[in-house]
Amino acid sequence: MEHSKHIWRVFILLAVGVVFVVSGRHFLVPASFGKMGHFRFDSIGEYMAKPVMHGNDASCRKCHQDKYDAHEMGKHAAVRCENCHGPLALHVANGEKSADAQVVRSWELCAWCHQPLQARPKDFPQVDFREHLISEDIPVKGTIPPKICFMCHDPHDPLQE
Amino acid sequence: MRENDIKQAPAQAAAAQGGRRDFFKQAAAGMGGAAMILAFGREGAVWLAGRPAKAQEVPVESGYDITRHDYLYLIDINKCIGCGSCVRACKAENDVPPLHFRTWVERYLVSRTGETYIDSPHGGLESFPPVDTGMDITKAFFVPKLCNHCTHTPCVQLCPVGASYRTRDGVVLVDEKRCIGCGYCVQACPYGSRFIHPVTHTATKCTLCYHRITKGLLPMCVQACPTGTRMFGDRKRPGDPVVEMVATMQVRRLKPELLTEPNCYYLGMGQEVR
Repeated sequence: MEHSKHIWRVFILLAVGVVFVVSGRHFLVPASFGKMGHFRFDSIGEYMAKPVMHGNDASCRKCHQDKYDAHEMGKHAAVRCENCHGPLALHVANGEKSADAQVVRSWELCAWCHQPLQARPKDFPQVDFREHLISEDIPVKGTIPPKICFMCHDPHDPLQE
Repeated sequence: MRENDIKQAPAQAAAAQGGRRDFFKQAAAGMGGAAMILAFGREGAVWLAGRPAKAQEVPVESGYDITRHDYLYLIDINKCIGCGSCVRACKAENDVPPLHFRTWVERYLVSRTGETYIDSPHGGLESFPPVDTGMDITKAFFVPKLCNHCTHTPCVQLCPVGASYRTRDGVVLVDEKRCIGCGYCVQACPYGSRFIHPVTHTATKCTLCYHRITKGLLPMCVQACPTGTRMFGDRKRPGDPVVEMVATMQVRRLKPELLTEPNCYYLGMGQEVR
């Protein structure tokens, strides 16, 4: 039995290995890892806790009833307030106005949707801005002045006379 | 030493006699063990990687039950006007860094002879300028794109640190604290949906606005779309109209040959789209 030493050595090495792996796992593997698969479960909660930036048209209505009504009746009813005015969270904090909402007064804002493009559906209203201005007897030389569309059209209800 | 060898010799001889039977016994036991490992290998691997728990018993904060949702996404190509509202809304909602996109819009111009012109200037962030391709264009359309939230995700499979994962409600996410930014997933994604964030240097991607959908809100690209091109549904919600549309209409998914089983469906998409 003098050689039983060898066996004990193996067992001690094994025990050291087990302790090493178990303690290593304890420090290296995050607590929630593996709860629902091969990932850190708490990461889901972190994603859920990210701030919601946008509200919806009902959030805007609380203060801007007049604009809301005009917009709701007009051709642009399907365009959300925040599409042009930016996210609610940059305008309102804790129920109070924190900063001015963005107001873009440029014909490019209109062009994003109404510039004639081959790839646009044929039934979608598209306007060649230069031709439209000529047909309306508005002389344009060189570049189109930025605010020109808003001289006639209210973007909330663009076809209102 | 030699003396000991001689003493042990008869014992070894005895063992050798019954050795074959013992060997088969041990082999059978070993195979049983191997079968156990095969049967419980996955659980064992999960135990090695983390603590086991029954998924159904895992509570999720804020009353959201992750097991009661299974999301899908539908895009109607015929309705898209390429305005870029979705791209701008996504950027504002998710603080997406400049020159990177979690969702973007591509323009396809197809000629009579089948030549295809594809572009996506700034991901369609500021819509599209008119373009002169010199081709006889017979077909033209926009294709909004985003992470397809595949059922069999190439990106998750090869993540070496377990940072990429797919949630039980069908959303592919990246654990930003665990990601080492190796970029394997960026290369693995056949849809180009991922990128390395220039500030955090971790992989990042569309989350289907997970912070919104878990509160019952729509993903921001869906809410911002003025033409109803983008639609969002839940297979586990009875009578969901988007699920009904996918079930009854001619829908296509991107790169079906890769067997990734995307959960993003396209309605009216031609074969030119890649």
